Amino acid sequence: MAQAVAHGGGHVTSTGTSNRKLMMWIFLGSECLFFGSLIATYLIFAGDVIHRGVGPFPHPVTINGEHHEGILDIPLTSTSTFVLLMSSVTMVFAVYGAQHARPKMMKLSTLATIVLGVVFLGFQAFEFATFYHEGLTLGTNLFGASFFVLTGFHGTHVAVGALYLASLLAASFRRNGLGHEAGEHMEIAGLYWHFVDIVWIVIFTIIYLIPSE
Amino acid sequence: MAHAPSTGHQEQHGLTPRQYIMLGLALTLITIVELWVSYSGMARSVLITVLVVLSAVKFAAVVAFFMHLRFENSLMTKFFVGSFLLAVAILFALLGLFWGDLQPARIALEAVSGH
Repeated sequence: MAQAVAHGGGHVTSTGTSNRKLMMWIFLGSECLFFGSLIATYLIFAGDVIHRGVGPFPHPVTINGEHHEGILDIPLTSTSTFVLLMSSVTMVFAVYGAQHARPKMMKLSTLATIVLGVVFLGFQAFEFATFYHEGLTLGTNLFGASFFVLTGFHGTHVAVGALYLASLLAASFRRNGLGHEAGEHMEIAGLYWHFVDIVWIVIFTIIYLIPSE
Repeated sequence: MAHAPSTGHQEQHGLTPRQYIMLGLALTLITIVELWVSYSGMARSVLITVLVVLSAVKFAAVVAFFMHLRFENSLMTKFFVGSFLLAVAILFALLGLFWGDLQPARIALEAVSGH
């Protein structure tokens, strides 16, 4: 029989750990399944586009002796990847500040994370607009459909994360700040943000770095 | 049987700020290596293997240290890693189910292109 155990924060739970933190981990587990299926769909459809010879194509490819340039901009996306990676570092400092009663560190790091997240979204918006003008849309071919759905959902997750952090930042300016469980609140938000980053690590490798042929 | 409740202070575990910075720099370096590998022109199978391994290292580092899974209750690890493995299994199952559908298009294309 599970024993009730206290953990940081003073709440007694039957698992010996915070229920809120456990909820976030379970949610992130479900997000693994969500993004896993979208990535699988991309892998199948992007390959199909090349085999059918229906462009635009993600990477440079030669079909019937005719060379087609790829539409993906690796240097641009590498920069946005670096930005998102740095946002994970600032997020870790935000959590550290909250857990070690350093409110200034927490607030500045949270703000930096939000800014970097918005910059990443700016890069994504620029990329989407460029692709649209180059003829790649949701309805152009299966590569376009799977690419925009996968990266669009990821971008939406980043935007939701930025709003989540903004609400925590706003709450931290109240008289009592985030309260005596500030560390846990920031840690849970940090879990979500880092997960968004690791999904991008996978997406960046599969879509941008691995060539089609 | 309930254990005595804690004083209410936050659980503090993880790395020091300096270690987080070093880890961030290491992740950046791995990303640079991945870029170099993608432009290196090595054989496709080797390229994919190297990139997947490097990505897995980054993934594990962020999950273990930034997300503190290394210092957490094993229940969290079981939930997350179990779900992740299930997602990977579903990914390979989908690829296995639909890969065959690509073959007619590939064969037709090769017939037209002559190779």
